[in-house]
Amino acid sequence: MSGLVLSLLDTVLDAAPALIFAAVGATLSERAGVVNVGVEGMMRAGAFAAAAAALVMPTPLGVVVGVAAGALVGALHGGLCIFARSDQVVSGMAINLVMLALGQFLLEAVFSSPSGTPPITQLPRWLGHSPLTWLAVVTPLVVHGLVERTAWGLRLRAVGEKPEAVAAMGVRVSRLRLGAVMASGALAGLGGAHLSTAVLDRFEHHMPAGLGFMAVAAMVFGRWTPLGAALAALFFAFGNALRLSLASSFPGLVEVVPQGVLLALPYALTLLVLTLQRPGLARAPAALGRPYDPELR
Amino acid sequence: MPETASPSRANVVLRSALPSVLAIVTSLVICFVAVALLRGGVAVAVDAFLAMTWGAIGDVPKLVDGASIAVLLRPWGESATKAALLTLTGLSVAVAFRVGLFNIGAQGQLMVGALAAAVVGAGLELPPFVHVPLCLVAAGAAGALYALGPAILKLRRGVHEVISTIMLNWVAVSLVENWLVPGPLRAQVGGGNSVAGTAQIHESAELPRLVGEVSRLNAGIVLAVGAALVLWLWLSRFVGGYEWRAVGLGPEAARAAGIDVSGAVVRAMVTSGALAGLAGAVLVLGTEQRYPATLGAPYGFDGIAMALIGNGHPLGVLATSVLFGGLRAGGTRMQLFGVHKSFPELIQGLALLLVAARLIWIRLVDRLAPPRGGGP
Repeated sequence: MSGLVLSLLDTVLDAAPALIFAAVGATLSERAGVVNVGVEGMMRAGAFAAAAAALVMPTPLGVVVGVAAGALVGALHGGLCIFARSDQVVSGMAINLVMLALGQFLLEAVFSSPSGTPPITQLPRWLGHSPLTWLAVVTPLVVHGLVERTAWGLRLRAVGEKPEAVAAMGVRVSRLRLGAVMASGALAGLGGAHLSTAVLDRFEHHMPAGLGFMAVAAMVFGRWTPLGAALAALFFAFGNALRLSLASSFPGLVEVVPQGVLLALPYALTLLVLTLQRPGLARAPAALGRPYDPELR
Repeated sequence: MPETASPSRANVVLRSALPSVLAIVTSLVICFVAVALLRGGVAVAVDAFLAMTWGAIGDVPKLVDGASIAVLLRPWGESATKAALLTLTGLSVAVAFRVGLFNIGAQGQLMVGALAAAVVGAGLELPPFVHVPLCLVAAGAAGALYALGPAILKLRRGVHEVISTIMLNWVAVSLVENWLVPGPLRAQVGGGNSVAGTAQIHESAELPRLVGEVSRLNAGIVLAVGAALVLWLWLSRFVGGYEWRAVGLGPEAARAAGIDVSGAVVRAMVTSGALAGLAGAVLVLGTEQRYPATLGAPYGFDGIAMALIGNGHPLGVLATSVLFGGLRAGGTRMQLFGVHKSFPELIQGLALLLVAARLIWIRLVDRLAPPRGGGP
């Protein structure tokens, strides 16, 4: 039994960080009032850039490149939403599609291989896990502190609720929002980099295989708070890990309850919780999705 | 935007289509330059783009040289097959847009539709003129039911449809591709052979080929074009369609005008799911002949791209889908010039990104050709 618990913990510690980084990042963007369904694309950018960079430089530096790539894609999303006043969901989906195609194209064009990059040196392991795993434990707390306890966090929350008020204080709404979306992209990029440098040792063509969408769901599930999002991400990762360990420890179980049903369970459960909670409880930021137009003030 | 003295109808159509056209042209130009830079010269890029064009619309030079009509029909089959799928998924997303819902769940609805078509196609033996329609109805109904959930959750419990449809996509992948297809519905084959996917559908359930064995051109494209036309008529000529548009423009105003907003949302979302389900049926009955081990392509995403580039208009979606269906089919020919086959998807993604910046194009158009009747 303790063997089961330990293997479960191991799986969660390996799988959860990518989801936690991305989900916590998504809260930053959305709390500032910019919808971010482009997390999937930003993770993909981070995963690809980190692996590609790690081929020519030490892997930790590659991770930094991955973070920068995520931030860059975040800047693109922020630019489209804030300055071109695009529909934010549309812009996010556009980014997902471009990154999906660009990743495949670059794999084929640069590495002449449709399935993945050549292998890289994985990140070193501290206490049996990648340093990013331990960073993922701290990040939600740090972001929570930033959002809830600092002047920047106060402005960030205010700009997502009532941008006019923040503008009246003399703060540049556009700059604050762009910063938040870029930070969101950077964290998503970090999550992607974790996939390609710690979970695996290369970028694979399907990465991040929907994890970005799951991160967005975790953010909503966690009621737009960094700690809530991280817990929801942990829940998803735990659900998946439980399925894997149960299947390997009790092979008989799979014959009674099919794998696919277990696989569907976390998502069905999330849907159920969202359905059952009082509609007013999980309130999105008031100005979410609304471009700020200073001329309409 | 201030209402100007009514410009001509053609002018309005042109202005609403122009941002998409400019976005597509720009992305084609960017990709052309990219090929020229990566593959050593403008001449190569011209050859590659010509190969893509002939791959899409048929090898016209060969026909001129006296080859048989097959050099046209074969590429048409490939282009039309891809265009039909893009059109149906694009219409699915576009219909939901009309009432203000973002249906990211087209992928899941397509999966359950494809599965329903595969089961009915393999499980029953009927004459073709009953079998094919029955498969289509089953697929449409499955997709519609799968889309009904998010609509009800949205209306009754305030669950955002983007989240619920993302969740339902995962549920569909898990249940269909990780349980039903490899498990209870897996094809039974004798002699120790194993085939991935469900049992092959009966010949009577296959979509009829339009021009015989020479080309894979099948009735899917007819279905897709028909769906686009019907939807266009519905939205532009019928009260029900007008109500959908009113709800999409402003639910509060629509409610104040006495429109049954919830009813309109449910009907539109069910239609959206049915269209995605039909796309699944076209895939199974026209191309795959079974539910394969995995669908393996983000058809739902493609639908989002088609809906957005087509500006949510049924005919715009159709035109966009025909164009990109052709590029997708023709794109494989570019491999001869060292351009990879994922290239058309890159063009598509780039075009979508540029369409997202719609406001920039509109400003540009307004500056270059100010609206008549006194613009800003």
